[in-house]
Amino acid sequence: MDLDKLRETAAEVAGRDDVKYLIGWKKGSYGYRIAPAFVEDVEAAAELIFSPLCTANLATYLTLVEKLPLPRGQEPDDRKVALMVKGCDSRAVAQLLAEKGIHRDEVIVIGCPCPGMVDPDLLAEKYPETEEPAELKWSDDGFVIVRDGEETAVPRDELLAEKCRLCRYPNPVVSDIMLDDPVETWEPAEDEGVTEIEEKEVDGRWAYWQEQFSNCIRCYSCRNVCPLCYCQDCILDRLNPTWVNRSVNFSENTAFNIARAFHLAGRCIECGECERVCPANIPLGKLNRKLAREIRDKYGFEPGLEPEGEPFQASYKPDDPEDFIL
Amino acid sequence: MSAMLLNKEKWPDFVGKLTGKKLWAPQGKGEEMRFAPVTEGEAPALEYGNTRVPPKQAVFPQTETMFRFQLGGEEVEVPEPEEETVLLGVRPCDARSMAIVDNLFGWEEDDPYYFKRRELVTLVGLACSEPGLNCFCTSVGGGPASTEGLDLLMTDLGEHYFLEAVTEKGEALLKEAGDLLEEAGDDKVKEKDKKIEESAGKIKRSVDHEGVPESLPGLWDDPLWQSVSASCLGCGTCTYLCPTCHCFDIQDEVEGFDARRCRMWDSCMFGEYTLHTSGHNPRPTRRERTRNRINHKYSYFVDKFDVIACVGCGRCINLCPVNIDIVEILRQVKEAI
Amino acid sequence: MKTNENPYIPYFATVEDTWFETGGERAIKTFKVVFDDEEVRKNWSHRPGQCAMIGVLGVGESMISISCSPTEGEFLRFSVMKMGKVTQALHQLEAGDKMTVRGPYGNSFPLEKWEGKHVLTIGGGIGQAPMRPVVEYVKANYEKYGGLTMIYGARTSGDLCFKNEFEEMARDEELSCHLTIDIEEEQWGHNVGFVPQILLDVNPSPENAIAVTCGPPIMIRFVLENLKKLGFEDDQIYTTLENRMKCGIGKCGRCNAGNMYVCKDGPVFNYATLKEIPEAFA
Repeated sequence: MDLDKLRETAAEVAGRDDVKYLIGWKKGSYGYRIAPAFVEDVEAAAELIFSPLCTANLATYLTLVEKLPLPRGQEPDDRKVALMVKGCDSRAVAQLLAEKGIHRDEVIVIGCPCPGMVDPDLLAEKYPETEEPAELKWSDDGFVIVRDGEETAVPRDELLAEKCRLCRYPNPVVSDIMLDDPVETWEPAEDEGVTEIEEKEVDGRWAYWQEQFSNCIRCYSCRNVCPLCYCQDCILDRLNPTWVNRSVNFSENTAFNIARAFHLAGRCIECGECERVCPANIPLGKLNRKLAREIRDKYGFEPGLEPEGEPFQASYKPDDPEDFIL
Repeated sequence: MSAMLLNKEKWPDFVGKLTGKKLWAPQGKGEEMRFAPVTEGEAPALEYGNTRVPPKQAVFPQTETMFRFQLGGEEVEVPEPEEETVLLGVRPCDARSMAIVDNLFGWEEDDPYYFKRRELVTLVGLACSEPGLNCFCTSVGGGPASTEGLDLLMTDLGEHYFLEAVTEKGEALLKEAGDLLEEAGDDKVKEKDKKIEESAGKIKRSVDHEGVPESLPGLWDDPLWQSVSASCLGCGTCTYLCPTCHCFDIQDEVEGFDARRCRMWDSCMFGEYTLHTSGHNPRPTRRERTRNRINHKYSYFVDKFDVIACVGCGRCINLCPVNIDIVEILRQVKEAI
Repeated sequence: MKTNENPYIPYFATVEDTWFETGGERAIKTFKVVFDDEEVRKNWSHRPGQCAMIGVLGVGESMISISCSPTEGEFLRFSVMKMGKVTQALHQLEAGDKMTVRGPYGNSFPLEKWEGKHVLTIGGGIGQAPMRPVVEYVKANYEKYGGLTMIYGARTSGDLCFKNEFEEMARDEELSCHLTIDIEEEQWGHNVGFVPQILLDVNPSPENAIAVTCGPPIMIRFVLENLKKLGFEDDQIYTTLENRMKCGIGKCGRCNAGNMYVCKDGPVFNYATLKEIPEAFA
């Protein structure tokens, strides 16, 4: 992608009177790190980048805003938020729109067609991170690591993130501005991770998740990073009544993780952020993709594709199959 | 303090001497390494790097039963403390964090749960020869071979471990292992010192906190708090994985008539942490919470206990999902002062 | 004093008497409780301004002001507003029921230091709870003090706590007792108007006086402003803070306002100290 064009466009959008800020990606404080950028003025747009390291789904910030009561006499700031999105991120926006979690006129969507992101863990494992900032670029058949002026070409399959191998929508499904021509879509890989678990006996599945959930430290980074976990009043935070105990043990951790997975069934857009941020390395993607697979297979429904569509499980049709009730 | 040498070939025998005590050591690979019980009869290989979750859980478990009771009853039963535990391969920063947190848990009155475990735990440290990318211990009062909080420190000298007892508990371990050890000569002491110096030289990051504890609260309304917290997700990663973070919640949990009062890690980055029942929250957004986290570590704690509540382990930097970097925050703080 | 070695283990106490101070959804109920263990009862000592962690086993604990003065007898009083999980459970308790108590926690009003001075208390709503022990203490040691002025207000007469006691005080000519409600009501024989305004009307002299205030944040803000107008210096003014608390003994972390832990360094603060803490009135 042409970074000059990206920055020019961003500067133009961020400079608009009806725009509060633009959220994009910028270089992080060291190594491969990328940080979300909140661009409020034209100058700051020069920091923006789009590279194979921009895994973060920034759509979560649309609903993460903490609104304070306004001081008397102050008008609410109802300017728009501009958001840079990849294909998967745009599905989060579409899903939020469908659920009316956000409204179309509150957001300007800047689409970044995405040739696929690297897996940050794989990258650091194979090409250890250094303090000096490093960059990544796309090449025709993979990635290029740029460090200390030196370029290292890496084949795509070596570093491509799992969520991108499985991706069916690399191009934004909703956007106001597109920064580039759509990328050519690729044949999504078989979701072996999910299949592998499906093929286990019940006991084996239970043992697998028991081990995983026992590692959960309940930091809630998965919930907080999730663009679709945006309940103002999360059942996990409730104390009166307490739905999920604060104790960190397998039982409560399972209650939490299962509750979250079910609340995301038919809503998860498979951006993989939960798994990326989990400090306990729990393969949350598998859990959510399993439910997504069920819903795709049983109902032929995929969330986050139609901003105007009806959200699954929140709509009713008289001819809905109901054989599962009996 | 006595200094001894242990030939690495005798490491399994050294570990064997500790039978009867619970052994914990870093296990797993690379990023996923964590402190876990050692299988009996095995000698854990101590590797480079540090665990994701700090060993603070050995003295301050994430969830701890304070007492049990029957609903409607008037008897409470405090669980018996666990058996003696030896933690092998504790990094000096993590041991130092315990020495720092001792201040708080011992402030005016002792926290019985914490100190009971503290007494039962022996910390066998391993000096760092390959500091991590985000280590900055040397600039916050620690170092790759800091002994503060440790009972015994081991330094890897290739063929040997160089063993230094720091406390009586450490001396006792050395005594127990007596016949496995050899006296460390001056040459080995020099070799160790050189190794440590080299290691300290590999630490690239640092914070300059001169004047920060006094000036930090004065930056209360500085725009930097908005900018450094804008991307914060409000999760508990930085605090839960911080070896010096010690905040906890207390909850009653009931199953049928069996009930317990327990405490569990809590995080100042959660809104609920300070939320009043009335709905009022004195720290309503992530800006105030981030400000409090930094102030607490670099000012309030210093005010009370004369030591920075940050050991420079780098975990909060490594694992923050959105690259909120405490070294970078401190740089901006220093600039703003 | 007999102390539990483990500060987290509460004492059991029996509710001896209980009554409602106010009604409605957020009713305030007062509990008069007595420790079950005679030794604890004998050895317990608290000072005006201190708090205790009271609770119901299986539900939890809340930090509540001890609203009686030790001069009143070997019992404790707590006035609790029905707000969350724990206070709802407390409200279920009737005479004869058990609650748990640990404490006393925090610092207290330096009443010895105030001897010889005129004590002015300015309270609003449930904020009178920590004021009441001050009033009772000064009344009990009246000869040591230069006088007592009490200003107390609430939204309506139904929202006033400790009404009967104060009605009596208002009739006592030696004391200067001023009750007020926000809006005029029939049969109301006292002041009408906001507490800060009544403070100006009463116009107490700052000379050799100490002012103590507690109430809703907005009231405190204007009371402080008006005390300054009346000529009170910062170090003549005291107030109490509250924050969410869990341990009560400075370990759990959450109650700090700046570098001060409300549970240990507070809840009583001199305004000269407090105004240096940016988070104090957050």
